[in-house]
Amino acid sequence: MRIFLEKHLNLLDYALSSLWRRKGKNLSVFFVFTLVIFLLASFLFLTRSLLVSAQITLRQTPEITVQHMVAGRQESIPLSYMGKIEDIFGVHQVSPRVWGYKYNEVTGANITVMGLSRSPLLGEEVLAEGRFGAQGEQGWAVIGQGVLADLDLGSRRSFSFFRPDLTLKPFSVRGIFAPQSNILTYDLVITGIDDGRDLFGLDPQLATDLLVEVVNPLEIATIARKISQVLPDTRVITRPQILKTYQAVFSWRSGFAAICLISALAAFIIMAWDKASGMAPEERREISILKILGWQTPDVLMVRFWESLALALVAFVSGTILAYIHIGYFQAGLFRSVMMGWSVLRPGFDLVPVVSGTDLFLLFSLSILPYLAATIIPAWRSASVATDSALRG
Amino acid sequence: MRPATLFALLLLTLTAVGLLASLHGRQRAVAERAGQAGRDNLTRELGLTDLCLATEARYTRHPAVTDDLVPFMDYPVALEHFPTGLFWAPLP
Repeated sequence: MRIFLEKHLNLLDYALSSLWRRKGKNLSVFFVFTLVIFLLASFLFLTRSLLVSAQITLRQTPEITVQHMVAGRQESIPLSYMGKIEDIFGVHQVSPRVWGYKYNEVTGANITVMGLSRSPLLGEEVLAEGRFGAQGEQGWAVIGQGVLADLDLGSRRSFSFFRPDLTLKPFSVRGIFAPQSNILTYDLVITGIDDGRDLFGLDPQLATDLLVEVVNPLEIATIARKISQVLPDTRVITRPQILKTYQAVFSWRSGFAAICLISALAAFIIMAWDKASGMAPEERREISILKILGWQTPDVLMVRFWESLALALVAFVSGTILAYIHIGYFQAGLFRSVMMGWSVLRPGFDLVPVVSGTDLFLLFSLSILPYLAATIIPAWRSASVATDSALRG
Repeated sequence: MRPATLFALLLLTLTAVGLLASLHGRQRAVAERAGQAGRDNLTRELGLTDLCLATEARYTRHPAVTDDLVPFMDYPVALEHFPTGLFWAPLP
């Protein structure tokens, strides 16, 4: 065993010296390989972090959301539907909600405005300043940090939005959400339901959707099915479905992007194959001399294997660490423009990178194994080169 | 020092850097969890359904409650054209 280890240590020494001798070529391969692994790992870590963040942050999302569908599109839902839902056994409470978007033509930002039917039971820890409006109070608003910046309010605490008839609807800012909740509230304006209806020009007997709370969370699916039966012209969205949507979106997108990045990896593997196949005359001479000195073909093969493995391992670890730093400390700066697109309001979310064993194994299988395979066959061909012909040139 | 030892040291150093970064990440995750109770209340009381990450289009701001055909709603043959649709659009 000791002889075996000693032999491989010596082969590794020789392989590393050989790598260092051709450092120009090997460093270029190393940088490209690290870059490809970095991109692939960054995307895997980013989607995993977003998925975990969505699963944790949205675990208290409404149990059931009911939307009215007309001709295949979502329309405002009549409040008369509330009674039919309340009659279903197991329903605890039904709350109407009015919400929609306001486009700020000056800055080009989309702001989400949400009118609530009851004053939220929230402590001041979710607000950087102020409070929520009381029940029945008119014209109040609690805004997110992004809205505060976009409307350039400064120390002012009032603003207006245009109604559909272009008259102005004034709001008085009662509170501002704390930056810790930016991932949920950055572009939000929360107000009372009557103010929401007034702003969007909605009939008093209509709401955007209905939120349903159930007594027993285990019965969410059953009650959702009953709502669909009682109100067939509605779309019923449950909490598990919302969480599954995020899982599906992230899995689909990460798979899609991974396929694009795998093309880059494939190009690199082809380049590695090409480089390993095209042996320089010095390399042929080196192998010939080694064989004359008594090396066997498996020894030469082993040296090439150690060379590839050493380079691939360092590139893998470096690329993975760089990807971790990219997600954790630079907030996925390279992918941000894809994720945010033309968004004007860009929440400064703080991603905590999540690295799973599955992702590392996937990364290892997609990068190191193909690289080793791509270099081992040319290595075998180079190891079986005819000694005399190589020496004669 | 023989090259194999140098190589082992390099790998160990890189692994240690990775572990340190991961430990720091773990600490940040713990700190993040401390504020989760507040976010839970917020989500429950306001009835929030989506993360505020991309705000350019309604189907990327609220992917969970949007219509599947929203990207194509503007006119019959309109193509989904927002850049975030690459990342956020509903499943086909």
